[in-house]
Amino acid sequence: MEEISLTINGKNISCAPGTSILNAALQNGIKIPTLCHHPNLEPVGACRLCLVEDEKSGRIMASCVTPASPNMVIHTDSPTIKEHRINIIRLMMANHPESCIVCSQGNRCELRQIAAELGVGQIGLYPMPHYTGLEAANPFIIRDLSKCILCGKCIRADHELVVVGAIDYTLRGFKSRPATVHEMPLEKSDCTFCGTCVSLCPTGALSLKNTRYVGSPQNESSTICGFCGVGCSLVMGSVDGQIVEVNPSHKQDTVNRSTLCVRGHFIHDFLSVPERLTSPLVRTDGDLSPAAWDEALELVAQRLIGIRRKNGPQSIAFLGSSKCSNEENYLFQKMARVILGTNNVDNGSYGSGRTITSRINERLDAGGRVKPLAELERAEMIFVIGANPAESLPVASYYLKRASRMNGIPLMVADPRKTALVPFSSLWLPLAPNSDYAMISGLAAILYKRGSYDKDFISQFTEGFDRYGEDLSSFKLEGVSRVTGLDGELMERAADLIEGKKIAFVIGHGILQQRHGILSMDALLNLALMTGSLGGEGKGLHFLTMENNQMGAWDMGTAPDFLPGRKSLHNDLIRKNWEQNWEVKLSPDPGLNTIRMIEEAEKGNLKALYVMGENPLRSLPQPERISNALKNLEFMVVQDILATETTLMADVVLPGAAFSEKGGSFTNMEGRIQSFEQAVAPPGEAKPDWEILGLLFAKMRYPKRYSSLDKIKAEISDLVPVYSALERNEEQTWIKESSNSRLFHLQGEGEPIHFSPVIKTEPERSDEDYPLRAILGSLRYHLGSGTRTAHSVRIKDFALKGEVEISLEDSAALKLKEGDQVRISSAHGSISREVMLNPDLRPGLIFIPVAFHNNDVMNLIELTQLGEANSPGWKECRVRIQKVEDLC
Amino acid sequence: MAKPKDIDWRELEAIIDKHRGETWALIPLLQDIQETLGYIPEESIEPIAEALNLFASQVQGVISFYAGLSLKPKGKYVIRICRGTACHVKGGRSILRFMKKEVGLDEGETSPDYQFTLETVACLGACFLAPAMMVNRTYFGKLSPPKVTSILAEYGKKKGEG
Ligand code: SF4
Ligand code: SF4
Ligand code: SF4
Ligand code: FES
Ligand code: FES
Repeated sequence: MEEISLTINGKNISCAPGTSILNAALQNGIKIPTLCHHPNLEPVGACRLCLVEDEKSGRIMASCVTPASPNMVIHTDSPTIKEHRINIIRLMMANHPESCIVCSQGNRCELRQIAAELGVGQIGLYPMPHYTGLEAANPFIIRDLSKCILCGKCIRADHELVVVGAIDYTLRGFKSRPATVHEMPLEKSDCTFCGTCVSLCPTGALSLKNTRYVGSPQNESSTICGFCGVGCSLVMGSVDGQIVEVNPSHKQDTVNRSTLCVRGHFIHDFLSVPERLTSPLVRTDGDLSPAAWDEALELVAQRLIGIRRKNGPQSIAFLGSSKCSNEENYLFQKMARVILGTNNVDNGSYGSGRTITSRINERLDAGGRVKPLAELERAEMIFVIGANPAESLPVASYYLKRASRMNGIPLMVADPRKTALVPFSSLWLPLAPNSDYAMISGLAAILYKRGSYDKDFISQFTEGFDRYGEDLSSFKLEGVSRVTGLDGELMERAADLIEGKKIAFVIGHGILQQRHGILSMDALLNLALMTGSLGGEGKGLHFLTMENNQMGAWDMGTAPDFLPGRKSLHNDLIRKNWEQNWEVKLSPDPGLNTIRMIEEAEKGNLKALYVMGENPLRSLPQPERISNALKNLEFMVVQDILATETTLMADVVLPGAAFSEKGGSFTNMEGRIQSFEQAVAPPGEAKPDWEILGLLFAKMRYPKRYSSLDKIKAEISDLVPVYSALERNEEQTWIKESSNSRLFHLQGEGEPIHFSPVIKTEPERSDEDYPLRAILGSLRYHLGSGTRTAHSVRIKDFALKGEVEISLEDSAALKLKEGDQVRISSAHGSISREVMLNPDLRPGLIFIPVAFHNNDVMNLIELTQLGEANSPGWKECRVRIQKVEDLC
Repeated sequence: MAKPKDIDWRELEAIIDKHRGETWALIPLLQDIQETLGYIPEESIEPIAEALNLFASQVQGVISFYAGLSLKPKGKYVIRICRGTACHVKGGRSILRFMKKEVGLDEGETSPDYQFTLETVACLGACFLAPAMMVNRTYFGKLSPPKVTSILAEYGKKKGEG
């Protein structure tokens, strides 16, 4: 398209057609004051501050909503314009309360800044302030709408960015203001406390309720959120070395744009609680007492080497962390493999689906890994399976809701529960837990029968379709309905919705933690191949990873059967290659995964365990069993930022630094590698985990010195081609995919992808003693087991109780009402909860949020490796419920 | 005595269902409910939003924006007195004062028997009849206190009855 040329303030410029005058000016470094404009929001022209004048027509117009047209001669700062602007500001100030002077927004208030720039002091108008009362009952956001200038940014943020719809304008004229439905306080509305509206509000009308500090922070630094796999970019404000405030980054190319979720915005108290570990601790005479770094590290080195000498390398295991950086995970597994000679390395993401995502590694040879969330907004159709991202990865849910509501992209949701995405979907498949594989193969069978599959794609990139087709034609759809509970008509409608389209799959913990996770993954890959929904934009598999560096920890080889770069340990060539890289002989023995580590400790075979950044006593099933297993160890080192259930059992505790206190890189769910810098210093003597590991390498007499982060980055980018971009230390870069699949090759060379056999459906056996099925899942106020989030003062103030949700039918049958205390028991243990009735829940299902009450829900499930398929199956279990009074 | 109708939920649902999925039809739908029930019950905001794929806050925003839509039940007869410039010049203010006394209601109020609601509007668009008012859809112009009394009598309000 041809560029438009025009003149702004005497400067000849050109811009693409359709560009607003404001953007044309900004692109050319010409500043125009604005209050209601934001690059991520649709322009509305509400504040009129961005007025400019066209010399030719004499017209005065709002530059944010007026497109530039050829040959305009624009003045942004003429005397007329200035006068208008000053008047607008005067009118706004007349409407503003006197408390302006003591407003906590202080100099960050854009209104005040602009007023100062324009020299508006005394306004000379009759003040007509607008008293609305202060709303501050919730622990997150303060609303003082007397300071509202009706720019509508909060409303647009709420509708266009996070797509919640908690607020909109109400009334008109002088009384107009942003309001919730029925004018309820925020905590009684749909508000998710993401705080996005607060970050965008140009005045003090919306502000963060600060528990620690009032006023503007002294320093601001950018970092990456340490909670979930979205990996949002943050700006952390600090005062005297303490983080006091968090906001979304101002940059434009971030995954979160200007949004955040409640965790990223408000739940960082754990960084500065008294439970932070500030000095190494060594167990002497049964008690943990402070020790010098050198002493603690010497002890760790000697004991580990000693145990290896006495009991062999298989007697030592390393549990790394999906919350630690790539660099740290790389060093951690290298220490295990190279110095101690064991593949017993795993990380916390075992429980959140690593074994299941590894199926794509096997079948696609790690192709199709780079999956920007932004592609979802351009997809033909989106199929969300077993995921409730509005709670688990909120910023990912914003993408899905925007795709549906703004771009009209059909969304299909398969989930036993009516999740927050269902109202945005074209179709909801309320299937029985663990039956996804049957539903997916059922859809494939219907499409096959209709003859609707991507024949070109199949012949070009795959192998085994004929066999697969035979399987599908003998696949019994009645069986599918029996297992899934979805009737034939619903299945046909689902098939209608995907027929002829490329599908973007969004896969969550409903699959990743499910006992039939691998079966479901296989069925899903078959469906993706059959519909040609792999390889390319707007199609393929998006995995919602729970932990922020789940992908990176795995990529770095912190897994028993993978070497760095996600390369299989069982491949002789790859192992040889790494033996050369590291100049060492590597053990070909498959290492122990998390569960097997515990089992071996129970048997007394495992003697030493090094835990970095994990809290297995809280995050794994059957805590008592874990505790007994860990007691069997001769030696346990725990390196963490917080004193936890697990550090209490350690022989040596090494205090690490949180993400905000060190540099490094994380890899998010999209395959985006994000480097971050230190924002504040670690507390006391705590050190970055990479530094601790580097010192241990030295103590164990490894010849290479890891004395700086750059050295580690250089080694990774040198040896791991997928991470070759790491060395450049850019704020963000992407993993470099390498796959032998033809589909992911530019030149079309390589191997075809194989269809896998269709697995016959089998109805799950019911259990009379435990007639209900409990689904375990997250609420947005906690992450994972809640080790960090439970420290939040705001979360404590919010007084969430983590109630068990029960359907109306079951509660009637069990004579339970809201607020009753119940005992929930499974074959493995029991917990107590308060009852919450959920009219959207289907009978037979209950929902228990994880992380609450010290994550005691882990007592209900069993720590076991499910079959050869190696699925954790921690998503769901069979339970019974009794009212507590009936029990006494 | 005419009370506001008890909400006939089935009728309400039928109206909402008629427009299900038609995001653009919010205003016709709201008018439909307003006409059928005389107001839009607060409890219908969420079901309307759900049916039209809108946010409840958006639905509320629209209802509260238009003077013709109301979240509160109104009287059988809605009196709208003009407060526009032309009417003001011709003594609209004293007409309003007189009316308030006659019906015993302040602006925005509805009589306990749900006979009358008193409202004011910026301009009725009948300036040539100033001072003007409307009762439901009927215009009355060139008002004077005696004329107001006789109009009210037509609608069943005898002089002096409070
Ligand atoms: S609350 Fe803030 S963001 Fe919202 S309209 Fe008012 S001034 Fe704008
Ligand atoms: S905090 Fe988030 S959800 Fe709540 S009103 Fe603001 S933008 Fe909407
Ligand atoms: S979505 Fe995830 S990464 Fe983003 S702010 Fe929330 S917890 Fe942090
Ligand atoms: S910035 Fe253009 S009208 Fe507000
Ligand atoms: S001013 Fe009263 S009708 Fe126009």
